[in-house]
This record gives sequence, C-alpha cells and structure tokens, in this order.
Amino acid sequence: MRLVAVAAAVALFAAAAPALASDRHPTQGELERELVCPTCHTTLDESDAPIARQMKAEIRRRIAQGATKSQIEQELVDEFGPSVLGVPRKHGFDLLAWALPLGGVGVAAAGLAFGAWRWSRARDVGDTVSHAPSAAPLDAELDRRVDEELARFDA
Amino acid sequence: MRLLRLLAVAVVVALLGLLVWDMAQADGSKVAKKVDQGQVVAAPKLVLPYHDRDGSFDLAAQRGKVVVVNFWASWCQGCKKEAGALNAAARYWRDKGVVFLGVDVNDFRSAASRFVDRHDVAYTIVRDGPGSTLGKWGVTGLPETFFVDRKGRVVPPHVLAAATREQLDEGIRRARRS
Repeated sequence: MRLVAVAAAVALFAAAAPALASDRHPTQGELERELVCPTCHTTLDESDAPIARQMKAEIRRRIAQGATKSQIEQELVDEFGPSVLGVPRKHGFDLLAWALPLGGVGVAAAGLAFGAWRWSRARDVGDTVSHAPSAAPLDAELDRRVDEELARFDA
Repeated sequence: MRLLRLLAVAVVVALLGLLVWDMAQADGSKVAKKVDQGQVVAAPKLVLPYHDRDGSFDLAAQRGKVVVVNFWASWCQGCKKEAGALNAAARYWRDKGVVFLGVDVNDFRSAASRFVDRHDVAYTIVRDGPGSTLGKWGVTGLPETFFVDRKGRVVPPHVLAAATREQLDEGIRRARRS
C-alpha cells in the first residue's frame, strides 16, 4: 500500500513539473495550438485571419516580456471572452466541462455494476428456486416405497 | 430502480430544455435576413459597456430616437473605408434626434482606441470583444450597419459592406419615416 502511495506521488510530481515549467516559460507554438481565433473559431496556428495575426503578435510580445502562460491566457480571455481557450480551464465554472463527462462515466459504471449485481442476484435466487423441489424431504410413504424398491433391486 | 428512472427522465428533460433555450438564442440570427427581405423587426437586446468610459449603453433606452448601429473592428478594411462617411453623417445628424453607435467586435481594446483616435470617431463606441451580439443581429461579416427606428424596430435597408454617406442618409430617412 505504501509502495502504491509513493508511486502515485512520484507520478504526480512527474506530471506537475513540466506543467509548471510550461506555465512559467510558455512557447509561442503551444499557445497558438491552445488558443482559438474569435472570428474563424480555429486554433491560432491554423488561422491567418487579421485578428489571429494580431493575437499571435501579442503573444510574442508578452512572451518576450516574460509573462506566464496563465497571464497571457487571462489577458486574452479579458479581451475576447473564455471562448478563446481551446480547452476549458480546470477551476471555477469551467471545471464542470471536465467534471461532467468524468462524472457521467462514473455514474454509467456504477449503473452497470448495480445492474450486473442485481442480475447475478436474481439468477442465484432462480437457481435456488429450481433446485428447491429436489432438496425438499420426501414424505414417509414415498420414502418407504423407495426403500422397498431399492431393497428389491439389491436382492 | 425507480429513482434511477426518474433521474434519467430528469436528464432528458434538462437536455431538451437546453436545446430549446439554444434555439431561442439563435432566433435573433433571423433579424438581418428578415430586414434584407424588407421586413421590420424588433431590435435584439443590446446592452454593452462603453469603450472609453465606465457604464453601459442600452439600446432600449434610446426609444424615441433613430439609432444607426454599425458593427466594426479595427482590423477590418471596410471599416477603415467607411469611417469618414460614418463620421460625417454622425456630425450632420447629431442634433436631429439620430444616435450613431459603433459596436467594436472581436478586437483588441488598444487597437480599437488607436482606430478611434486616428479616425477621430465622433460617436459612441461600445465594446463586444467576444462578439456575443453578432449572432443575435445575424451579422456575418464586418462592417455591417442597421437602422433602428424610434419604436425600437430594425428597418431596411441593412448595409452589408462599407457604408457610403448616401446609404447612411437614406437609411436614416427611412427609419425616421417608419
């Protein structure tokens, strides 16, 4: 159990370190791939619209000034609204965009598990019911006749 | 099990509600189309922050005045071309109960400020960075100009390119007669 916890912590740090580095030192390419042109609704790297060219120039200028990725993203959201983000943010109301699909998968899995459990339980009960007559004791008369038949058979 | 069934029904009803709401929002896109067909339609709601000062402009508060609504952006070539005509018309009609409104869409605030200074824009500019009003008015490109009469209705014509002084005067006259 302790080994699993250590492995999880290492994996978490391994994933967080590049993200932190990316936020502090964003590249032009990654921001152009992640931000959307407000007029043509494609990512900036695929757009040559006038406003997309202005946005690329602004990103270049802000990177040169040492702005972080989140600062640049926030400034563009302030100018053009949250739809410029190619992917929703992982906090506030936007978190719903991540949580709802994951929650949906969770609910579906729970529903499936519940359904499977009910189905297997119903089958067990069915099996019990179908075996019940053979497990029930014979009445005395029938029991006596079976013994007589068996005794005759043995003789 | 009954609870699950109720939950499923609730989810379906919520999704249907979302669909109806979305369709109702998109209904405004018919405004430009109807005006182009010669119809007079109620102006969509337009409340936007001023570009150069605090507060918001509300189109509904302009009842009793003709309003020229011009959608533009600093990066748009047609907008540069029509700037002179808009300015001249705005100055001419200013004291005759006509309000000119420039809606700056999908634009950097700083770039819009440079445009306003360079062209000495003489009328009210509001800001719609995300372009949230475009769909409601049915704007498909920039620039586009609409004329709203004194009763708050959009009347023909609807100018789909750089507006000329003649087009602006004609649109205003028709809105005043409406």
